[in-house]
Amino acid sequence: MQFLKRSLLFVLILLIIAGCNNGEEGKGKIVDSTNKNQEELFVSAAASLTEAMDEITELYEANHDVKLTFNFAGSGKLAQQIQQGAPVDVFISANENWMDSLEDEGLIDTDTRKDIIGNKLVLIVAKDSEMDIDSFNEIDKAELDQIAIGNPESVPAGEYTETILKNIHKWDELEEKFVYAQDVRQVLTYVETGNTDIGFVYESDALSSDQVKILAEADPSMHDPIIYPGAVTSDSTRKEEGYAFLEFLLSESGQKTLNKYGFSK
Amino acid sequence: MLTVHIKKQLSHYLLDVAFRVDKEIVVLFGPSGSGKTTILNSLAGLTKINDGYIKLKERYLCLKGKSLVPVQDRNIGYLFQDYALFPHKSVWENIAYGMKNEPFTRSLIEELNIGHLLDQYPHEISGGEKQRTALIRALATEPELLLLDEPFSALDEDTKKLSYEQLLAIQDRWKIPVLLVTHNSYEIEKLADKVLHIQKGMLQEIGS
Amino acid sequence: MDQINFFPLWLSLKTASISTVIVFLTGVFLSYLVSRKEFFGKSIIEAVFLLPLVLPPTVVGFGLLYIFGKNGMIGKILIDLFDFQIVFTWYGALIASIVVSFPLMYQSASAAFKQYDKNLENAALTMGKSRWIVFWTIAFPLAWPGLLAGLVLAFARGLGEFGATLMLAGYIPNVTETIPLAIYFAVESGKMEIAKFWVIIIVALGFFAILWLNWWSARNMMKHNR
Repeated sequence: MQFLKRSLLFVLILLIIAGCNNGEEGKGKIVDSTNKNQEELFVSAAASLTEAMDEITELYEANHDVKLTFNFAGSGKLAQQIQQGAPVDVFISANENWMDSLEDEGLIDTDTRKDIIGNKLVLIVAKDSEMDIDSFNEIDKAELDQIAIGNPESVPAGEYTETILKNIHKWDELEEKFVYAQDVRQVLTYVETGNTDIGFVYESDALSSDQVKILAEADPSMHDPIIYPGAVTSDSTRKEEGYAFLEFLLSESGQKTLNKYGFSK
Repeated sequence: MLTVHIKKQLSHYLLDVAFRVDKEIVVLFGPSGSGKTTILNSLAGLTKINDGYIKLKERYLCLKGKSLVPVQDRNIGYLFQDYALFPHKSVWENIAYGMKNEPFTRSLIEELNIGHLLDQYPHEISGGEKQRTALIRALATEPELLLLDEPFSALDEDTKKLSYEQLLAIQDRWKIPVLLVTHNSYEIEKLADKVLHIQKGMLQEIGS
Repeated sequence: MDQINFFPLWLSLKTASISTVIVFLTGVFLSYLVSRKEFFGKSIIEAVFLLPLVLPPTVVGFGLLYIFGKNGMIGKILIDLFDFQIVFTWYGALIASIVVSFPLMYQSASAAFKQYDKNLENAALTMGKSRWIVFWTIAFPLAWPGLLAGLVLAFARGLGEFGATLMLAGYIPNVTETIPLAIYFAVESGKMEIAKFWVIIIVALGFFAILWLNWWSARNMMKHNR
């Protein structure tokens, strides 16, 4: 009973601390929206863009009378939300397929669709790894215990990895070494902790971790381009503002910021 | 037979008692919360004492507050207030649990007249029958000392009277030292060879 | 429907069964020891035992990866001394299953050992029986219904374990692919027929485990109330 009381107290304290933090965040938001007439733009963006978008939001809101609100998740989930009628103004996908299906269903304005940015598939190792190769062709089965890749059937980066390794005739040989991850974050964790010798992720993912280093980039001619398309949704009530935001992402300062986080065209 | 000096710090007072039990029934009498059950538990080895000694026959069970003999080796029979019969064992299984000598035990069963209950389970028998079962179970281990913690308190008046007679008869026949805890003064009159009055951990006077 | 590979069924049954045996033995003995002894830091130890119950399984998996991974405290020792790897092997699935189901067993056993009168054990001790015999003849049978409930819960939890397993054992078809992993990756890959098949299997297993438990305890109650 004593133990129960103490535990409850502990949980209560945690809740209070959490509550305080929320309070501060809330205040921050209020300060941001000094202008009450300001337009709010709702953007659904692929999770890999989270950090880059933080910086872009700051840049954009400083020069435009718009408040950006983001919903970050896997592109598939975001597309499904839009299919279910979520009130989204702008959709930025990490994958052309999902944008294609929304376009087929008439859920986005086709003329606003742009290829915002791209990404590269890279081979990563732990920061202190002594492995010394500089192309995918040099991957030597004998030197490896295990390899982390995104599950090709559900993780886009895994799908690209499969295409490339098949094209350079390494897939069959390496297949027995694969550990399939549910997302790119898990690939990073396995490589960071040294549990797999190498892993395949996007360059932007690799740059988000200071525990890994990039040994090689995939030859872009070996796979379909990795493209992040963006578009304004058909149901948006703020199409002009949405389109302006896409234009900004394509502008020099928008592209520069994205490059900083490992994205490239 | 049993000589003790127990010192133990309880939450509200210091328990400090010294007494002796021979082949007789000694009644430990006092209000609830005066330390009676603690004394029984200390003797049985279920609770530690801070200082003092417990000597049973030639053996020191405790010396200078340190336990020398664990509960299971003390050879002290203990009849708990609620009898503590094993609910998952039949009357016979309860009795046989620590039994040393079957013919002796059978004779006790006959004497206390519970032979027809041996296959029953504790929840199927009456309070008086439970009390007799527990008494036989304690005696079947052939203890050198028998501790009784308010063994009659849950019984109705008629059953109580019968139980007094049975206890006296058994004590008379087997000459076991018995320490009986009660707060019923009638039981002093009926059973006691010697009385220990206890109040807030101290013995008040010794009468007979 | 594609042809179904039954490997996940056998792996899940094997993992959950062995994990349940280990968790049952350790859970029963540890909860008995802790419930019968007072010592400094008891509540802290109990909190540590129960922690995996309140943490998200992926967090548990992450912690396990740090302990049993190739560079983890224990994982490194096992590899250096015995060339024994836990991460990405069946043993990883087993450890994940043990860690997440232990609190359920521990909690059930603690409650089971508290719910009967402690004087029953004291009485048995005064009758000259050793603590070991008292445990087997008094404590264990009296706590058995609660212990059995814990056992079934631990088995069901081990069978359904996903998050920590995915982290520590990874998803390697035909090596670490338990039923929950098979379901997850089938759904993610859009193979709904395969996912449905495994969902039916795991629901049936869980359902019958609980059904059997209820039937058993009802029968047991009748026996005691004869």
